[in-house]
Formats: sequence, C-alpha cells, structure tokens
Amino acid sequence: MSHKFLHTESPAWVAEGLITEAQRQQLLARYPPDAVPAVGLLPLLGSLLVALSALSVVAANWAALPPVARLALLLSSLVGAYAGGHYFVQRGNRTLGRGLVGLGLMLFGVSIILVSQTYQLVGYDASGLLAWVVAGVALAYAHRSRMLAALTVLIGAVVQTYCTQALGSYSYATAALLAGGLGYFWWRRPDGLLSTVLSAGLLWQAALWVGVSHAKITWFFVPAMLVYAAGDWQANRPAGRAAQGPPLIAAYLFALGLALFGETDAYADLLRPPVLAYLGALGAVLALSVAGKKQRGRLDTLPDWLLLLPGFYLPGGLPLAIATLVVLYAHAGSVLLRAHRAGDADQLTLGTVLFVGATMVAYFKLTWAFLDKSLFFLLGGVLLLGLSWYLRRRNARVLAAAGAPGAAPGPARPTE
Amino acid sequence: MASAVAAVPEALPRFKLLPRLLVGAQVLYVLGVAGAGYATTALGKAVVLAATPADLTTLKTTDFVRLRYAVATVPRTQWQGPDEPHIRQSVYVLLTSAGAPAAATVLGVYAAEPHAEAGQAVLRGWVTDVFPRTLGLRYGLERYYVPAASVLRKSTVARPLRVQVRIAPWGQSRIVEVSE
Repeated sequence: MSHKFLHTESPAWVAEGLITEAQRQQLLARYPPDAVPAVGLLPLLGSLLVALSALSVVAANWAALPPVARLALLLSSLVGAYAGGHYFVQRGNRTLGRGLVGLGLMLFGVSIILVSQTYQLVGYDASGLLAWVVAGVALAYAHRSRMLAALTVLIGAVVQTYCTQALGSYSYATAALLAGGLGYFWWRRPDGLLSTVLSAGLLWQAALWVGVSHAKITWFFVPAMLVYAAGDWQANRPAGRAAQGPPLIAAYLFALGLALFGETDAYADLLRPPVLAYLGALGAVLALSVAGKKQRGRLDTLPDWLLLLPGFYLPGGLPLAIATLVVLYAHAGSVLLRAHRAGDADQLTLGTVLFVGATMVAYFKLTWAFLDKSLFFLLGGVLLLGLSWYLRRRNARVLAAAGAPGAAPGPARPTE
Repeated sequence: MASAVAAVPEALPRFKLLPRLLVGAQVLYVLGVAGAGYATTALGKAVVLAATPADLTTLKTTDFVRLRYAVATVPRTQWQGPDEPHIRQSVYVLLTSAGAPAAATVLGVYAAEPHAEAGQAVLRGWVTDVFPRTLGLRYGLERYYVPAASVLRKSTVARPLRVQVRIAPWGQSRIVEVSE
C-alpha cells in the first residue's frame, strides 16, 4: 500500500472511527515512504548516458578504425557484457545479471554482422547468423532463463525474416531450433509470457515458410494448429492456454476475413489446397489435439476447432459467407457457454465481444445490399443497442450468481 | 512454477563452466568470421567487376555507397535453367577473365551451379527483376562500406570504378578493393 495514499486517507478513517490515532501511526510506520525513486534511477541514467557517449564516439569513428581495432572493440564489449552478467548472477542479482547476458547475446549478433561488414564479406546462406540462434538457445538452457528464451525467439524471427527476404531461402535449421530447442525448454518450464512469445514466434516462422514456398496460405494452419495441440498437452494449463492464444487469433481473423471477403470465387480459389492432403494433415493435428485434451481433461475447449472448419471449399458467394457466419456464431456461443459454466468474467467479456463482432459482420454482410441506407444504419444501431443491453444484463446476472457461492467450484453452481 | 527457478542456488557450482564455454565459443566464432574474411582474400578467385557509384552524396550521412555493377543486368538469352527465372531466385553467374586485370563479363546465368573452366569464376546472386529482354541481378556486394582513406571520399562526381572481388571456394565472397 502506498504511503502517500495512507497519509492522505487515514485522517478521515480516524475521524469516522474506523481506526484509532495510535493504529493510524502504526499503519504509517508499517508502510514507510519509499526511498525517493528518482535517486535510485540516477546511477542507471548516468551509466546509460556514458554508454551512449561511448557508442556515439565509436560510431562516428567507425570508418576510420582499422579492422583489427574494430574486432578488438567488438570482442571486448562482448566479453565485458558476459563477464558482468556472470558476476551479478553469482552475487545473486539475477535480474541485472541476466539482463547483461541478454546484452551479450545481442552483441554477439551485432559482432557477426559488423565483422562481416568490415571485411565486406557476403555469405549466401543462413549459416553465419544461425550461430546466433544456436547461442541463444544454449544460453537459455545454461542460465535457465525464460527471458533469454524469449529473446532467442525474437532473434530467430529476425534471422528467418532476413533469410527469406534477402537470401530467398528458408532456414529449416532456425525453425527446428526454435520449435525443438525452445519448445522443450517451454515444455519443462512453462510460463505465460514465454508461451505467448514462443507461440507467436513459431507462427511467424510458419508464415514465412508459406510465403517462401508459394503454398496456399491455408497450409499455415497445419503448423499453427500443431502449436495449439502442444498447448493441449502442456501439463501447466495457464501456460498451455497462453500458447494457444496466437493460433486461435490467427484462425479467428482468417474466418472473419472469409466472412467479409470470401464471396468472390477468385479469392476463395487462392485458399483451396488439395482436399485430401489438407484435410488429412489437419485431421491428424486435430486427433493429436483431442488426445491431449482428453489426457488433461480439457475437452471443454474442443469448440475452438470450429474456427478451423474448411469452409473455403464451399463455392464462393453467399453460401460461403453464411456458412462462415454460422461458424463464427457457434464459436462465440461456445466461448460464452464455457465462460458461463466456469463463471469466468474475462472469458465472458471475450465471448461477448466475439458475439457482437459476428453480429456486426453478419449485419453488414447480409443487409447492406437489401436495405435503404438510412434504414440500414437505424436498424443496425437499434440492434447493437439492444444487444448491448441484453448482454450487459446477462453478464451482471451471471457474475452475481457466480459470486454468490463464493469459493465453490464452477460446475457446482446451480444453473438458472 | 516459480519454485523451479527458486531452486537454482544449489546449481551454482555447475553454473560456472557451461556459460564460460559458451562465451568462449562465441568469441571464437566472431574470430572465425574475421578469419573467413582474410582466407577469402588469400584463397579466393580474383574477379574485377566494372561498377559506378549510385549516389556519392549519401556519404555525408552514411558510411557506405551503393554500387551499380555492369553485370547486374544481363540479356534473357543468357539464362540457363529448366524453368523460367523468378524474382528472389538464387542463381549462379558464370564470369570470364577471372584473375585478369580486365573487367569480367557474364557467360551465363544458371539455376544450378555450373562447372567453371580455368579463367572462369562463379559468383552467386539473386534475381531482382524479370523483364522481357533482360534479367536484373543482385550480388549482395552492392553496399560498399567506404574506408576513410578511399578515393570515393575525395569528390562527389560519380566515375566508373573497378571493384576487385574475391570468391572463396566455399562460397563466400568479398570486395577487396575499389579503385578508379
């Protein structure tokens, strides 16, 4: 509790008889004012400025430095960052220590790039930068650090983007290191933030693969849903759920796009991979996911897969738009139902948003062509107002009902 | 899950060796990159490419210039591949007069690595443009980081340049010198 808050509020508490003056003094003594934070920041700010000045001196004279001096400068800062990191980790200041190790890892990549540049050296495959990813994975294991693992995911994204955009080839080694090396790390040390970062990083690798191989973009969902299935098997439920966020968002956006723009057959045609191969691959991933859900007792999340229904095989036009809308509604309904059962306020809000979103799309899609414009906006407004009133009332009732039994588990709560 | 990290202190003795080995490996790797630079100069095939600087005024703000190589545009008739070339495709360019002081010319652009006779060299590149009659190529050597003492820093008038390139047998290449 903040001292400032106590200081301003507590006289009123004494006046209203909530606490005595002696208790107020005790409270104030218990939460002493923080040491002025700005003073703590000064050394940090000072060292940052010194580092920036050193950096600008080096940058301004970089072209004039002989190659050997550049090499020495890069290597000494690399070793310096790591040595500082190890020193602080061993002294017990793990945050600062790992921060410096992370800086060392960044300097390793910078060194590879700048040394190649110094010697005007051109490589024609990813092997030069692959070492950066290898170093990142190894450091994440050596320091058992989720921060370093997340940093390596970003490095892997940079390396793969460079490979596909500048070299025109896909680095399978980078993707395998992220999926295998960091995937195993995440498996053993699940963590919410790392789950999301790693999952999004793997999706990025998959998207770049689709771009380079000129495959139909729907193939993206096979690796994406593999990431999702890994989340099903993860023993730590919050971490598994966090890893499933990015694939679900991607699938939802795709379904939304299909509902909005899918009516032109030329566009839908870009999405149709060979039926048997695609459905076979996706079916295998589905089986894997279901097995994981069953094993961990999470079959309630199975309707997530509704978003993956391959509606794009339907003929383009109205049938496709309507089928996609039905799927979007079914999905929003399943999220609402699950949230309702568990009494989870966040999920309830999410389900409401999804439901409203589907309604908006449906309305714009289906009525714009048939209605007079003013009537269109009027009806749309009335529809949304009514929907918001109904959902808010329902939300309040559900949350009140969920709050009433207190700590009782969700399923035990009587349904209305 | 926080307990997994909180249990680290007993691992401290083991901690010492592995991270240090990793740092050593990274230092060796960076030294290896530098070594590859020297080795490419020592062992690579020498080729001279004719080029012009794109815009020397950029040297006021950056420390590199973009070079336009004569061999960056080749006639479509020199394409040697099973399929039509496409943008971003990686290609092998067979050049004449390796080791000679004259500027190299293109013998052919290949999708797969061709065999180089004596006096020929293979430089790798990428397709940037496919026009009806010509192909645009990129070699990765377009950005030249100009040393402080270079002739390029003396005037802003773009004159034809001779770019000396070395191509290592293991596939890397580098600009060794740029002169007028």
